[in-house]
Amino acid sequence: MTRRAITVGYLYPEIMSGYGDRGNLAAITRRCGWRGIAADVRELRLGDPVDPGEVDLFVIGNGGEFHQRLIATDLADVKGPGICEAVDDGAALLAVGAGYELLGRFYQPARGVELPGARLFDTWTIQQGADLTSASCTLTEARAGRAIGDLLVQWDAELLVGFENHSARTYLGPTARPLGQVVAGQGNNGDGGEGVRLGSAIGTYLRGPCLPRNPVLADFLIHAALQRRYGEAELAPLPDQLEHAARAAAVARHQGSRPGRSRSARVVHSARYAPAGAGR
Amino acid sequence: MAGEWISSSGEAINIYASRKARSGRGRDIRRRRPAAPGQRALAITVGKAARGTVRRLRRGNGTAIPGMAALAIDAHLLSGLASEIRLGTVIVTGTNGKGTTCRMLAGVMRASGLLPITNQEGANQPRGLATTLLAHAGPGGHLPADDRAVGLFEVDEGSLPEVLSHVSPTILVFTNVFRDQMDRYLDLDYLTRRWEHCLRSLPADTTLVLNADDPRLAYLGADLPNPRIFYGLDDTEHRRGILDHTSDFPRCPRCTGELSYSCVFYAQLGHWSCAHCGLTRPSPQVRAAKVDLIGPASSRLQIVTPAGEAVLEIPLPGLYNAYNAVAAVAAATAGQLPGGALPAVSQMTPGFFRMEQVAIGGREVHLALAKNPNGYTEVLRALLRDGRPKHMLLALNDRDEEPDVSWIWDVDFESLCGLVPSAVLSGNRACDLAVRLKYAGWSDTDAAAITVEPDPVVGLRLALAQAPEGQPLWVVGTYQVLWQLRDWMRRQGLVSALWEV
Repeated sequence: MTRRAITVGYLYPEIMSGYGDRGNLAAITRRCGWRGIAADVRELRLGDPVDPGEVDLFVIGNGGEFHQRLIATDLADVKGPGICEAVDDGAALLAVGAGYELLGRFYQPARGVELPGARLFDTWTIQQGADLTSASCTLTEARAGRAIGDLLVQWDAELLVGFENHSARTYLGPTARPLGQVVAGQGNNGDGGEGVRLGSAIGTYLRGPCLPRNPVLADFLIHAALQRRYGEAELAPLPDQLEHAARAAAVARHQGSRPGRSRSARVVHSARYAPAGAGR
Repeated sequence: MAGEWISSSGEAINIYASRKARSGRGRDIRRRRPAAPGQRALAITVGKAARGTVRRLRRGNGTAIPGMAALAIDAHLLSGLASEIRLGTVIVTGTNGKGTTCRMLAGVMRASGLLPITNQEGANQPRGLATTLLAHAGPGGHLPADDRAVGLFEVDEGSLPEVLSHVSPTILVFTNVFRDQMDRYLDLDYLTRRWEHCLRSLPADTTLVLNADDPRLAYLGADLPNPRIFYGLDDTEHRRGILDHTSDFPRCPRCTGELSYSCVFYAQLGHWSCAHCGLTRPSPQVRAAKVDLIGPASSRLQIVTPAGEAVLEIPLPGLYNAYNAVAAVAAATAGQLPGGALPAVSQMTPGFFRMEQVAIGGREVHLALAKNPNGYTEVLRALLRDGRPKHMLLALNDRDEEPDVSWIWDVDFESLCGLVPSAVLSGNRACDLAVRLKYAGWSDTDAAAITVEPDPVVGLRLALAQAPEGQPLWVVGTYQVLWQLRDWMRRQGLVSALWEV
């Protein structure tokens, strides 16, 4: 059998890799490598076009609002159509945090006009935290209302573990469905849903390196990418004892914490926000 | 003598001596109600009692609680006591290197005949500063009058605005700004914006000492009239090919354009300029013209200042410590301390866990703190740059208030693959570290033996047993694990308690 290969499109590597996001890329390339699959990483920077037939798996990571402002227009106009076409054709995608927020319809910052989204997902995001671009905003103000802590998500039969740190809330439109249900933490907006899934494209607040501790999610993406490239995919199992030990520790930490001392995110403002732009 | 001052005038001029007690502009503190008579003395008595009790109970290092108690009684304690320091106060802040820079500068101050009051015990938030000051105060609530007293405080980067609302420094030193504790500081741009904002309330004569090589820092408060001294590395011998991804790829501080580098030292530190608007790294007045990284334990620097030139031996490795030394010399230059005092830098003893050396059962054990992606990467590079394999105990802990360890994915473990024949991983997040090293390729080589042992003391014993006779053991880890190890060593009589040193 000839050596299988997939192309991974890593979006804005210098700008959107703020929270250990390279761990997700490492998980994809290593898990391919251990199985003899070549993972060719194509870095997609500002201005670079997206050839929808070329990329089998897109990855976009996290950043602050400053970084979102740098890429929003490029993502929406230059790369968005190609990404949407590729995903429609079966390509896989992982978008984390700020990257997830910009793949919806729009992102409304704390101050100023909304940033355009790439409109892959039927979602929109409203910043409800303090305005971090204001220098007079104190740390206490900045942290109020922020979801910071462990995030555990039931994804079909699987439990995903991770960490969230965001003050924006993401809402799902009528055609979107969440990735999974929140077991601990806040997720999208406090309504019990977390992330979004469209075909093999996934958006999530499981921040930073979520794939190494959730090998099942990493393999889902690799499987989808192979499926898209070759029309069939078979993935040999890997010894994941270490990964499972790290997962178990995270789950135990959550279950072991007393009520009121939970390390998962405490939602300070729990009222559901009814966004003005929801009808769009 | 290790260092030589070639063209120093030799006379001790210092600007501290001419300073009077300072009053800031528009301080929040001024609007608070002044302390009632006797309140300060009560606060100090209570603080001192708390300090004694915490130490007797050997609970923690006793650097936060006494200050917290005293500040609860007298909210003006910090500003009141700091304003009594005759020669004013120097504040050092930034992500990495604050403590070491302070230790180096303290040595130069002592060699200049000054008596620095420092928070060397490491508590660097307002309550920690209060603990330091109340320890020096007399029962009447005042610092002893001493014309040689100078304040020297390292200040937590997130607490700088609050500290500056109490204390007006004569000199304010910024080391660097890196990704660290994102759970706490949230965002680098937000952190530097807060700094920028709080600089506006500084007196116009506070000297800013800035790292020219850090594009996020070089132009802090650029529109302010304050005097400023830039420092940086000129010797490009140790440059790296490209920006580390831990640099977060900063944009131009003026136009947010993309930066280009003629030379990168590590992370975003280097010789930079903006391709878009033409802003360039300021030319540093205090600079390392030559950097010799001698090994995992020392370096030699040739430093040029406006007053002359000195060769300094420092008992610490790595480029990050070269930056600390240049920052300390720049601060000494800002304070017009005599050049002849600079070699005192070489007599510094490293702070706790800053490559601290301990002998255990005849074995050399080095302890190094690493708590963020850059720190961890630079410590590992400093230790492993000679290419000789080293046996290590790598430790990772999270804390209740900081449960996130995703930053380990930004540490450059990849480039050090194969240099560590045996590693024991320890701390409550040892499993996360094991996964990280697996994906960095450490377990691909047959030579590497990786053991996971969450208990640090058991881990240390294991690591000592694995390293061959005569080979040192290198311990790199986060605070909590190192404290646990240190506490065990203290009970074994191997090291003394923090405050007994």
